[in-house]
Amino acid sequence: MFRAFDWQDLIPLAKGAWLTIQLCAMSGILGIIFGLILGIARTSPSRIARWISTIYISCVRGIPILVIIFFIFFGIPLLFPGLELDKFASAVIALTCFAAAYVAEIVRGSIEAVPRGQSEAADALGLNYWAKLRYVVMPQARKIMVPPGVGFIIGLVKDSSLVTVTGLVELTHAGNIVTNLTGDPIMTFLTVAAMYFVICYSISLLGRLYEKRTGIQVDPLKLPEPASV
Amino acid sequence: MTVIFVENLNKKFGPNHVLKGVDCHIREREVVCVIGPSGSGKSTFLRCMNGLESITSGSIVINKHRLDDSKTNINLVRQEAGMVFQHFNLFPHLKVIDNVMLAPLKVAKVNKDEARAKAEMLLAKVGLAEKMEAFPGSLSGGQMQRVAIARALAMDPKIMLFDEPTSALDPEIVGEVLTVMKDLANEGMTMVVVTHEMGFAREVADRVLFMDQGLIVEEGSPDEIFSSPRNARTQGFLSKVL
Repeated sequence: MFRAFDWQDLIPLAKGAWLTIQLCAMSGILGIIFGLILGIARTSPSRIARWISTIYISCVRGIPILVIIFFIFFGIPLLFPGLELDKFASAVIALTCFAAAYVAEIVRGSIEAVPRGQSEAADALGLNYWAKLRYVVMPQARKIMVPPGVGFIIGLVKDSSLVTVTGLVELTHAGNIVTNLTGDPIMTFLTVAAMYFVICYSISLLGRLYEKRTGIQVDPLKLPEPASV
Repeated sequence: MTVIFVENLNKKFGPNHVLKGVDCHIREREVVCVIGPSGSGKSTFLRCMNGLESITSGSIVINKHRLDDSKTNINLVRQEAGMVFQHFNLFPHLKVIDNVMLAPLKVAKVNKDEARAKAEMLLAKVGLAEKMEAFPGSLSGGQMQRVAIARALAMDPKIMLFDEPTSALDPEIVGEVLTVMKDLANEGMTMVVVTHEMGFAREVADRVLFMDQGLIVEEGSPDEIFSSPRNARTQGFLSKVL
């Protein structure tokens, strides 16, 4: 009844991996965009902006991601009866909601890590809030947020396995299906694990490359090299 | 003509009453040095003059702009009052020339060629023409502070505020920064300088203010303050630092 795990089984797993990549790319990019907006709002002089972002971030961080996934998947069709969401779209929304809150905290921490003197110097030159953010604070904060940001995106790839509960055939779900066909969970999930590893390791390599390419100029903590004789 | 009016200026940080009614008028082209012990409120006084610290009560008028009026556009005031910080606060991600060009480009919105020509002229003036393309991280403290002065001058301020500009520098490079400041004073810039450099205050200042515990305790010409201080606290302070 069961057959052995063979190379044909790689095809559904590869398809699942591709779906995981698409899912994480989309929710990662959207999460970064909304996270930037929320993180900037969190440090803005406007009290309302700070309030809204603080409430959002605290709420999302206080809810398990699985609950967010269930809520979006089952809740949205009930709340908005006309709205048809496929599994992929609801997974993207759930992961984006989740990612935005965590990215926002990374953005806030990075903005606050830029020395206060930088902001004061920009103020003293007469730069308005947005010019100060764009030309002085964010270029320096960007460098600070890359390492934790990369770490978070890697976490997001792994957490994306939870959307398997909605029936979306991403990598973990594909692994489940293949296990049912072959009865060989060891080979199947070793393969699944290897695929997750390749995705995550690639992201961390990309992150390191980015740091190397931008790191030369954008390092507020770097001390001047002693002049060589 | 008086360009800075400070009247009954009070500043509190929570329960901490830092400025307790400071009165001070500064005329155009005047060089005023503010001296006094640490914690006397001299830096806070200076920072209030371009809105880096909010005012608890009292009034400050800079070139007809009222700083205590919430309708005043603080960024306009800041364009007229350049500021130089103790720790330079250069932008480490921008080249020296871009540090100087940033405000003209993004605040005054002059075109790039004009901003560049101006920045080159200012960097030549502070003796750093050859460092234009360097990043601040590769400069010495004295060079960084001279870039910071050029950066503040790029907006053509009518007033320059200096917050202990040489306190973070090694003693042997203090001179190069003071020379630039002296030149500026000789050109007729209105300057308020919080400093511990008594030699500079004595030589360059038109007037010296001695602050202690949030008040201007004594003021006068450098000669009056340094040679014959009347107030006991001024005498005590000067006997320790001179």
